[in-house]
Amino acid sequence: MDYVIDLVIIGLSVGMVYALVALGISLIFSGLDIVHFAHGEIYMLGAFIGLMIFQKLALPYVPALLLAIVVTGLIGVLIERLFYRRLTRAGGGYTVAGMGMIISGFGMSIVLQNIAFLIWGAKPLPFPVPFGMPVEVGNLTLPMSYVWIVSAGLLIMVGLHLLLRRTMLGLAMRAVAHNKDIAYLSGINVPAMISLTFGVGCALGAAAGVLIGPINYVQVQMGLGVLIKAFAAAVVGGFGSLPGAVLGGLLVGVVESLGAGFISGTYKDVYAFILLVLVLMVKPSGILGVEARMKA
Amino acid sequence: MLDIKDLVSGYGSVRILNGVSLKVERGQIVALLGGNGTGKSTLLKAVSGLIWPWSGSITFDGKRIDGLRPDRIVRLGLVQVTQGKEAFPGMTVQENLRLGAYAVRDRAKTAAALERVYGYFPVLKEKRHELSGTLSGGQLQMVCVGRGLMSSPSMIMLDEPSAALAPQVVLDIFRTIHRIARDGMTVLIVEQNVRMALLLAHYGYVLKDGVIEIEGSAERLMHDDNVRLSYLGGTVANREAQL
Ligand SMILES: Nc1ncnc2c1ncn2[C@@H]1O[C@H](COP(=O)(O)OP(=O)(O)OP(=O)(O)O)[C@@H](O)[C@H]1O
Ligand SMILES: [Mg+2]
Repeated sequence: MDYVIDLVIIGLSVGMVYALVALGISLIFSGLDIVHFAHGEIYMLGAFIGLMIFQKLALPYVPALLLAIVVTGLIGVLIERLFYRRLTRAGGGYTVAGMGMIISGFGMSIVLQNIAFLIWGAKPLPFPVPFGMPVEVGNLTLPMSYVWIVSAGLLIMVGLHLLLRRTMLGLAMRAVAHNKDIAYLSGINVPAMISLTFGVGCALGAAAGVLIGPINYVQVQMGLGVLIKAFAAAVVGGFGSLPGAVLGGLLVGVVESLGAGFISGTYKDVYAFILLVLVLMVKPSGILGVEARMKA
Repeated sequence: MLDIKDLVSGYGSVRILNGVSLKVERGQIVALLGGNGTGKSTLLKAVSGLIWPWSGSITFDGKRIDGLRPDRIVRLGLVQVTQGKEAFPGMTVQENLRLGAYAVRDRAKTAAALERVYGYFPVLKEKRHELSGTLSGGQLQMVCVGRGLMSSPSMIMLDEPSAALAPQVVLDIFRTIHRIARDGMTVLIVEQNVRMALLLAHYGYVLKDGVIEIEGSAERLMHDDNVRLSYLGGTVANREAQL
């Protein structure tokens, strides 16, 4: 029994990371109508930036995490402004221009990988954070790193929820996601809000990267695997739905962890997709997905 | 107040407006009429900046606004309410309305505007915490017009505010537009309900194939043979009885 609980806890913390990346992808999808294929590299970039702040600036882990979130968010705003804007302005994923957008996403992913390679090299770097002793809960021993990931992830999600639901800025972001014309006519600076949405999406990716860093190594190739899992998570939860992204991420994490623990670790990457196929067979729009999203 | 000269615009490479000239004086209600697909909505979109004017000029309050971003035009005091009762269904009535005042960074002003809108549409106050997705068509139209009023513009452009509504609701909406105008708002209204629009308006334009075909005072258009034949079903009897 304890073994199961251990596996679930590991699954939840890895799932939290998938959920954060999936949240970023869903947020960007809802705001820009594009599927951002370079999001794994944003996650990788965030992890490296966090590591650099942690080591070179010698800041403690929490400020490093926060700073990495902000810096990567700003890099995201810059990327949107410089490279994606012309494409998103021509129309999103449902138009011919959307195809160009997907290809640019792949291009961006290769570019970011190469930039990271030039700066940090190919070798995996350790992210040595002294989390302290494991905590005892009943007869369970929880490693602090996992407790950390789960609680930090939850905090970030609550923050995102408050931003989107309780502030005028969040209201405006949701308005832009739903209908850009009406948002414009409400006096909202739509391009700025799109940049912001993209930046927040990237910030979420960076948070995931910095959170996973201490339990995995930080390396140039780390984006691909997480991107695929995050997509699986987003689709399982219902593509474009933010609560769906969280639910999907946690489910994928737990299923993967249980599968690796009970069946075989060799096929660890397969379980997410078995889950994906099963969910799609029962509910093609994903667990929390609406049947067909009307987008303006 | 609004002065459109030789406006040409369209979608992609398809030209819809072939040189439209139109004027709205301060404090007036001006009706823009015309058959389906003649470019009325296109004209409003070009004025509010949602589509790009290809040539010609648009002057609002003495400033050139052609080529400006839509949110900038809203900040100058010119607001468009689109056709089709488009609101944000996942947000409450009050959130929808507040969004209309996004450009106004003043809490007191926003609160005052909100009260004014609730004054015009009391039912929205009752429903302020309900999601706009649950409203009836008439209430949704009120949210849209209300949202347009929230930035306290000096001029509002309404695109078929009475479309697809029950007759009683149509009358309500027209009465409220009349009140809004009486309180000092300049109004450009696009309508299929030509009779009602001409009763409400001071001046009217008829758009056909992307150019202004007829213009004149509402009184004159009401008795114009072409207008009567094409848009009024030939008779204008009993018009006073309707308002
Ligand atoms: N987004 C668009 N892209 C391409 N063509 C469009 C678009 N919107 C409208 N059109 C075309 O432009 C022409 C004018 O449309 P517009 O909506 O301005 O007409 P309208 O006078 O408002 O008609 P209605 O009374 O039906 O609202 C129509 O032929 C229409 O098919
Ligand atoms: Mg129209």
